[in-house]
Amino acid sequence: MGPYHPALEEPYKLDMICEGETVIDAKLHIGFNFRGIEHLAESRNYIQVIALMERVCGICSNIHTLTLCQAMEQLTNQTPPPRAQYIRVVVAELERLHSHVLWAGIAAKLMGFKTMFMTCFEIREKVMDVLQAISGNRVNYSMNSIGGVNRDIDDPLAVLAMIEQLEREMVRTVIPIFTTSTTARSRCAGIGVLTNQRAISCGTVGPTARASGLPQDLRRAAPYAAYSEMEFEVPVQHDGDVRARLLVRALEIMESCKILRQALTKMPSGDINTGDAKIVFSTGTATSRVEAPRGEVMYSVSWKENSRNPSRVHVRTPTFANMPAIRWMVMGARLADTPLIQASIDPCYSCTDR
Amino acid sequence: MNAVAIIPEQNLLQAIPEKLGISERWVEKGGVHWLASDTLHVRDLAAVMNKCHARFITITAYQMPGDQGLRLEYHWDVNGNVLGFSFQLAANSIESIYDLCEAVDWIEREIHEGFAIDFTGREYEPLLLRQGDTPGVNLRETGTPNKTATGLSAQEEVKK
Repeated sequence: MGPYHPALEEPYKLDMICEGETVIDAKLHIGFNFRGIEHLAESRNYIQVIALMERVCGICSNIHTLTLCQAMEQLTNQTPPPRAQYIRVVVAELERLHSHVLWAGIAAKLMGFKTMFMTCFEIREKVMDVLQAISGNRVNYSMNSIGGVNRDIDDPLAVLAMIEQLEREMVRTVIPIFTTSTTARSRCAGIGVLTNQRAISCGTVGPTARASGLPQDLRRAAPYAAYSEMEFEVPVQHDGDVRARLLVRALEIMESCKILRQALTKMPSGDINTGDAKIVFSTGTATSRVEAPRGEVMYSVSWKENSRNPSRVHVRTPTFANMPAIRWMVMGARLADTPLIQASIDPCYSCTDR
Repeated sequence: MNAVAIIPEQNLLQAIPEKLGISERWVEKGGVHWLASDTLHVRDLAAVMNKCHARFITITAYQMPGDQGLRLEYHWDVNGNVLGFSFQLAANSIESIYDLCEAVDWIEREIHEGFAIDFTGREYEPLLLRQGDTPGVNLRETGTPNKTATGLSAQEEVKK
């Protein structure tokens, strides 16, 4: 199957060995869109590299610049002001909403639930409208900079009103249908199971891990930005099947709304960046991790003093960690279920290939 | 035996050097707890990380300036802490830990392809990123594939 997935329109290949309609074993092939971004980063200065890394992924572009900027802030000894930390939380959670709702739409399409696909994409458009209202952009938001953010949220309460409307629509349509509908249950329950042990041994992250009973979430385990000041739950399911992954994301949508409400109402006043005109890097390597919509993103950034460019930027994306687990999910599954099983980890081939 | 059941979580970090049989202590730098030791062996490390129920994150490869060779940094997560272990490669090769830690498969393959580092003791699938091409051309300055004891690169051995 592949290198073009029937639903996701991004390339990777799954070689499956079948007995009749049952998948016996599978091998994954990636790299069809390898862009050498890590290598390109070594020829970009500290401003250009942010723009470059924003393009690692089209869905969680903000997360990549956030992780990179956090690493560079360690190397430049800068601490973003509190308001910037709150704005980072707001944009990160809006991005999580947009990513999860996009995934829900694609999952609905793969389930044969096309009206739900349309509903999800309509809601996703509204999330993107909010992101556009904040940043001026719908995909690459250019929000993060070393020492803070580039744009303020002038009227957080106006954004809050948009969030509350979104939340109402999700509670009215998306969440009940995904959690209770017979279609979702019959297409998702008991298929593509990733056991707890296998989730651990594969090093899975994010909703994929949490749907197999691993309660790991960096927003809680290693808080960054202003997450230590937010109250939220980390949804965990134990069945490890496609339905569990669907439920985790549905519940995370609600938790994101909860975090957004807190961040927008409690947002402190003040500067949005340190305002340092001159950025001075010290020699060394800094590591930063962020909980992206698909799971942990980690950047290792190396710099030499007086250099304009990083000497090394290594990106470990969540799909790179989660995708090998697909082999175990599809073994024993029906061939017809494999597109949905693959999609259930919310794979991002753009991130994986870099 | 379950190591976590014996060692309380807060003492896990302190217990790791002891389990590895080294006297060095953690140094926190750049968001990572580093444990540096000349006597550290990567397979012993992987075994201890398994016992501690640490989650493997990634390996980062660095090409050092001039003829200083290559360096690998292994990262695991323990209770939200990033642990880092650095290995300077003597002959562009290091033992694979794939049999001990399933999660390293893709990153070992990617580093093999990007830097021509040979992770010994494992077989490689066809190239992950650049099928049919030469290892070491993506991220390493000079793309000379590393040779194994048989005089062939790991990729050539697979083809053979």
